[in-house]
Order: sequence, then C-alpha cells, then structure tokens
Amino acid sequence: MAEAGEVGKRAGGEERMNMNAEQILEKLKESLGNALLTYEIKEYTMGVRRKRTLYEIWAEIDKSAFRKAVETIFNIDYPHLHFITGEDTGGDVIKMIYSFGIYHGHPGGEISITLKFDLPKSELVLPTITDLMIGAETNEREIREMLGVEFEGLKNKRHLFLPDDWPEGKYPWRRDEHGVDDMVKYMHKSVKEIRKKGEGNA
Amino acid sequence: MPKTAYYIPVGPIHPALKEPIRVEAEIEGEKVVKVDVKRGFAHRGIEYMGMKRNAIQTLYLSERICGICSISHPYAFVVAAEKALGIEAPPRAQYIRPIIAELERIHSHLLWLGVIAHEMGFDSLLFWIWKGREKVLDILELLTGNRINYSVFMIGGVRRDLKESHIKALKDMITYYWEFTEKMKEIMLSDPVYKARTRGVAQLSKELALKLNVVGPTARAAGLRMDIRQDMPYDAYADIDVRAVVPQDIVGEARGDAYDITMVRIYEIEQSLDIIEYCVDNLPEGKILAIPNYVALLAKIRRTKGEAIGAHEAPRGEVVHYLKFDGRDGPSVWKVIAPSYNNINSWAPLLLGAEVADIPIVVAYIDPCMCCNDRVALLKTPEGKVLGYEYIHKKAVEKTKRIEREVKK
Repeated sequence: MAEAGEVGKRAGGEERMNMNAEQILEKLKESLGNALLTYEIKEYTMGVRRKRTLYEIWAEIDKSAFRKAVETIFNIDYPHLHFITGEDTGGDVIKMIYSFGIYHGHPGGEISITLKFDLPKSELVLPTITDLMIGAETNEREIREMLGVEFEGLKNKRHLFLPDDWPEGKYPWRRDEHGVDDMVKYMHKSVKEIRKKGEGNA
Repeated sequence: MPKTAYYIPVGPIHPALKEPIRVEAEIEGEKVVKVDVKRGFAHRGIEYMGMKRNAIQTLYLSERICGICSISHPYAFVVAAEKALGIEAPPRAQYIRPIIAELERIHSHLLWLGVIAHEMGFDSLLFWIWKGREKVLDILELLTGNRINYSVFMIGGVRRDLKESHIKALKDMITYYWEFTEKMKEIMLSDPVYKARTRGVAQLSKELALKLNVVGPTARAAGLRMDIRQDMPYDAYADIDVRAVVPQDIVGEARGDAYDITMVRIYEIEQSLDIIEYCVDNLPEGKILAIPNYVALLAKIRRTKGEAIGAHEAPRGEVVHYLKFDGRDGPSVWKVIAPSYNNINSWAPLLLGAEVADIPIVVAYIDPCMCCNDRVALLKTPEGKVLGYEYIHKKAVEKTKRIEREVKK
C-alpha cells in the first residue's frame, strides 16, 4: 500500500489527497471498463537501512481505449511522460508502451503507470497527446520515424533523428520487410572482420 | 516601418557549438521571431546495437552514449536489469554506486558552470572553474582508473571496491569543494554583471516546464520539485532522504531563468558533497557483487522473462531505461531517454522574443548533450546509392596519403 492520505501541493497550488496505487487502478477500471484487459501492481523495495516500497502500475489495454486511459491519468494528476516506445516482434502487431509518472515531487511517492496495447500493422494510427502535453512532440516524432506509427493531430511531422533524405517505408525498429537490417550490415562486426571479408563496396 | 527579417542558421557544424545540432532563427532587428531546432546529427543507433548484444556488453555500450554522463546511463540500466531479474545489489555496492554518481554530478555541474561563463564571454571564470574541476576528475581516476567511462557498475553490484586510501582522498576532496562552492557563489551569484547577464534570460515558467516535460535542473530552476533520487529513490538514496534543490527554498521564489539554474547547480554540488560524506561514513561491510560469475549472470538473464523501467537522476535530469528480457542473454527491447531529449523542447519557446546575444545562453542553459540526445548518418552518391563502409574507409586512406604527399612537397 502506498502512503494513503499524503497531502500534496500541486502545480496549481491547491491541496488534495494523493491516491495510492490501488485507488488509481480502481479509477482506471472505472473509466475503461472492459477495455482494461490485464493489470498488475508491481512493488519494489529499495534502500539498505530504510527500506521503501515503490509502486508501479502496469496495464494492458485495448487500443480503442488508449486516449481515454491517457485522459484519466491527466485527470488524476498532471503526469510526467517518461517514454513512449514500441516493440515489433515480427508479427502482425506492434506492442506500444507508454510510461507516465504521477505525483512526482513527493518524496518516494511517484507512481509509475505503464500502458501497453497492441496496434495492428494494418492500421498504424494513434491519436496524438501533444494537445495535452506539448513536450510529447519529441516522443511522437521519434516513434513515427522509428516504427512508422502515424499520429493524428501531430503538427510537426519532420524527421527527428533520421536525416531528411531517409528512404520512405524504412523504419529502424521494425522487424519485418520495413526493417533496416539490409542497411546496417556492419554495426555489430569488428572492423577486422569486415576488412577480411572485403565486402561493402558501393 | 517594418523591419526586414533575416535568417540565421546556426550549425550543425559551428565554431560555437561543441556538438552538432542546428538552430534556425529568423530575426527582426535584434529580436528572434521564429525558431526551428533540428537534431539527429550525432545519432549512432546505439539502441539498435544494444538489442543485438548481451546484457553485459550493452551495459558498457550504454556508458558510451555520453562521455559526461558515463555512469548515469549504466546506473539506469542496472536499476532496470536488477528489477527485471529480481536481484538486489549487496549493501556495500548500494553505497558505492551513489558515491560515483555524485562525483559525476560534481564534475558535470562544474563543466556547465564553466561553459555558461564562456558563453557570456567571461573566459577567466571558465578557466578558474575548470581548474577546480580537475580535482574531482583526479578522484574519479583514483577510484575507478578513468577520468570518464568508469566501467565500475555491474548488474547486481559494482566491480571495484573502495579502499581506506580512497576514503581519505574523498574526505580531502569534500573539504576542498566546500571552499570552492563558497567562492563560486561569491563570484557568480553575488556578481552584479553575472546577475545582469542572466536574470530574466531563458525564463521558463513552472507551468510551461511541466507541459514541455523538461527534467532535472531545468525543471527545478522553474520551481518543480522533481528529482528521481527523491521521487523514486533507489540504493543508498532511499536511506539519505534526498530533497530536490529548488530556488524557492534558497531565495524564496523561483523565476526559472539562467540565474536560477546557476544557483540550483551550485547548491546541488553541495548536496552531492553531503551525499558522498554520508555514504563514506556509513559504508556497510561485505561483498560488492550479487552474482560474481558473469557466465552465471548471463545464464540467469537467458532464463528470465520480464520487463522493467530503471531511472536515475543524471546531472542534467532523469535518465530512463526500459528493457525487456525475452529468452536472450541481452535485452530484446531497449529504450533510452536521456535528459536532453526532453530539455531541448524548451529551446523554441525560450528563444522566441529573445535577443540574438541571448541565443548562446538559452542553448547552453539546459546543458545540452547531443550525444545523449541523438543516437544515423547515410552517405550517398549523387545518384542516391548508399556507400559501404569499405569504400568510405578506402577514400579516407587515399585522402590521408594525398595530404602526406602534399605536406612533403
């Protein structure tokens, strides 16, 4: 159990009670209903002389409920976006992972909420969250170029890390025909190996 | 009469930039009216490489993401790996890790304090601060064998123990820096010229800082009490009760400008000295590695299926690593978020309306680290064909030989 009843002063200046991990999970269940597929509260004990327990919520949701889940989190507390990433295991779906942290600024009280959902490769479109958090633009632009996921409502769609003349339809994190394995032959070989083989001429 | 707008491109290669990035500014008179930031010039595809190597190799690869934060990335990586594997580092290792991390914070903050002095044309201050920085680099060399890229962390502990002689040297260093920070406060914070040059420059409000998702000293200078060591404590930080250093606790209010961020960084050096002192005085006895045999460690990773998030407060802000073990001896998914990734978000809003002379301060204010932020370059023929490694190497050798011949003439 997280320390329930901790009074916190938030960015707006108003005081309100912080919810604990279970209460947050209840709130997510309430707003998502059946779209909340599986969930888990992970507990980690940290420290040597003064043990502390940290809580993380990991939830698997249905793709359709993504925006609602994010809005629910924003209604609880203005979160900090830790990261957005995705995993392509080579199948028909990309597993998207969004990680938020809420109640930062409370010693030992930050609760991390990780949302995971399958996004079918036939329809790689997600609503943007930049209207809620402008700073998420960087994350969405990265996911767009690395995985080929389109964000509806994202204003700046230029490449972030990849060069402007990057070939279309190539996404470095994909493990299917859109991947880049044929482009990066030498990234995990030693220079000696490459020279011995004598390949790689244009 | 409307003024003509001029377009000023800075970078990617520019004498004033230490690392490649491009800022395109449109100015009317002295005022910046439009800004665009382009990044990605130092992207090396490290995450991609890490997903093809074993976890121990990836740990040391993560150290090469950034030369300055060369312990911050391994720290987040080991925290994540230990969570996923369900192992805990021995108490002694949990106290040694923060010592190294805080030493890194001291040297990184001193580096920034020197750079900001340089950006405003105060070069004697730069040299004085960097002279002071040598002390902590010497200590790091004594403790780990290297000034940067220390390679002392391991999943489940550390690779090098602290000796009595190290502890004595650390105590001497603490005394040295307490005097040094006092002098720095006098020279920087009390100096009217420094104040005039930094007050109100690069001012970020608390609300905008929250929306831009900025982290570390940039967020704290704006008054957000955000610090991973405080919010999600790990290792000895959980015992110490670290509190975020914010300007409102020092001078009563946070304005979020370049002056406040200088203050936050100087006071954080003092906080680091306190943390190191606590860790040294309370250092538990015992072993330093949970699984000393690396073959056994890799075998355990191969048997583990699981994912975890590890976070560490690096000098510039939070470093977050997500990794997933899935039957391989290394991560099958690895995502790295470095502080500059989020902090560069602040450039465009801060530069708007600023004066041209403030551009270097706004840019340097977050202590940008491109090698952290970026991680691909393609070389092509004019017809669009991608050139291979061997061809590029051959061309480089030819060029060197040509220059050699020309020099001999």
